[in-house]
Amino acid sequence: MNAIAKFFADYGAEMLQSTREHVILTLIAVLIACAVAIPLGVLLARCRFKLLVNIVMGLASIIQPIPSLALVALTVVLFYLINGLLGIRLLATLGTGPALVALVAYALLPILRNTFIGIRQVDPTVVEVATGMGMTHRQILFSVQLPLALPFIMAGVRISTVWTIGVATLVSLVGAGGLGDLIFRGLSSYKIHLIMAGAGPAAVLALMLDWLLGRLEEWLAPSGLRNTNPQ
Amino acid sequence: MSIGKKLLLLVGVAAVVLAALLVVQYLTPKADIVIGGKDFTEQSVLGEMLAILIEENTDLTVERKLYLGGTMICFNALQAGDLDLYAEYTGTGLVNILKHDAISDPDEAYSAVKIAFERDYGLVWLEPFGFNNTYTLTMRRAQADELGIHTFSELAAHVQQQEAGSGEHLTAGFTAEFIERSDGLKGLCETYGFQFATEPKQMAPGLMYKACADGDVDVICAFATDGRIAAYDLITLEDDRKFFPPYYAAPLIRAATLARYPELQDVLNRLAGKLDNRTMQELNLQVDRSDNPRQARDVARDFLLSQGLITPKEQ
Repeated sequence: MNAIAKFFADYGAEMLQSTREHVILTLIAVLIACAVAIPLGVLLARCRFKLLVNIVMGLASIIQPIPSLALVALTVVLFYLINGLLGIRLLATLGTGPALVALVAYALLPILRNTFIGIRQVDPTVVEVATGMGMTHRQILFSVQLPLALPFIMAGVRISTVWTIGVATLVSLVGAGGLGDLIFRGLSSYKIHLIMAGAGPAAVLALMLDWLLGRLEEWLAPSGLRNTNPQ
Repeated sequence: MSIGKKLLLLVGVAAVVLAALLVVQYLTPKADIVIGGKDFTEQSVLGEMLAILIEENTDLTVERKLYLGGTMICFNALQAGDLDLYAEYTGTGLVNILKHDAISDPDEAYSAVKIAFERDYGLVWLEPFGFNNTYTLTMRRAQADELGIHTFSELAAHVQQQEAGSGEHLTAGFTAEFIERSDGLKGLCETYGFQFATEPKQMAPGLMYKACADGDVDVICAFATDGRIAAYDLITLEDDRKFFPPYYAAPLIRAATLARYPELQDVLNRLAGKLDNRTMQELNLQVDRSDNPRQARDVARDFLLSQGLITPKEQ
């Protein structure tokens, strides 16, 4: 027990600081990704131009196969090169700036794709009924389509969030802080307790956020009400 | 509450939360000085020393960004102003950054980088700490003695025999940066005229020493001031053709930062000449040892106290 107490005495403050940095980065990235991907997904789902839809989805899909470490590295070097080309220091070459760009890029696709699929899979009959009842486009979106698409959208947000927590451990390499700091130090010095000090909270965070999002989904649309059978 | 209304409420709350997070992230006052460090222990110890010196001897606030992914990340960030200061090595500055040929005289090397960096990058080299943390080629002492390898040339000869099929098979473990740098693997192999038969394994700086001691690799590009060379009974081979330039460490700071806070020059120069190779090795070992390792900041603080560079806090 004494060893555990000593461990927290030594590293407790750092763990808190790193966790705080990590949570902030993850939340900012996921929120921005939602703000972009959900409306975009809705627009694409209702869009009739197949080519446009394919182009946008294609662009978003290009990012996913890039290994997360590569994306973080690419962003930093890209910003440096852009600065060079423009001749001024427009973009930060270190820290949370490039890190967030990479994190948001990664968080986008699951949310975008799931929103798109979610809206598209809504039974057209239901939409017809709603239109017949005199609902406006906006009413249909918020009262019919989104609620019915919700399980898909939330699944996308949950996947994205858990994923982002993992990718965010890498941004330590480019000075953005987070739990990766502890993990890399632990690796470089063969101190397993440092690695766990970083990995542990990351895992706990992922579980917590995933659970919270589940609760959020329940609050938004209690399963009892999600009945697609038009009565 | 209808679902539609709940969704709107959620969007509103999310927007507020995002705004709050962005404020916290970007509008909280930044530290006056941001100190960087590369991804190995010595850089953390030096970084902490510089940070503590500044915090205790001036009114300035310091943020540490240690364990960054390598020389170029630190250097580019310093140029761009995302970092104010970090500890760099003269040889690295000369060959790796300026892309000059190596200069073997330490003082000449220092002058060369000092002049060039100030002129071309607006970066100032302050007084060196005193130690030379050169790249080395290091092996297990037992194996080196057994094979009669004590210089780089002898290693080269052995590897060439290996190529021809007669020598004992030696494997190498190097850092990613060493493999890429012109003052690293490529230049080394050119100067000594050899090539490793199998691709060197790539690993983080902190992992090399144990890998060598355990026999996972035979030759590593150990850093001269790492305490584990002695601790693991490894031996450094002699660079008989003097391929590696001197790597004297010194604080590298933005001229703009120095202009804004001129008091930093005196404060940071207090470390001038205070760290020789032996001392740096010892300090590094305190952090790296497996038996009761200490944290870099504690090691740094204790050293500064012992040298009277900071005064002890009242209990």
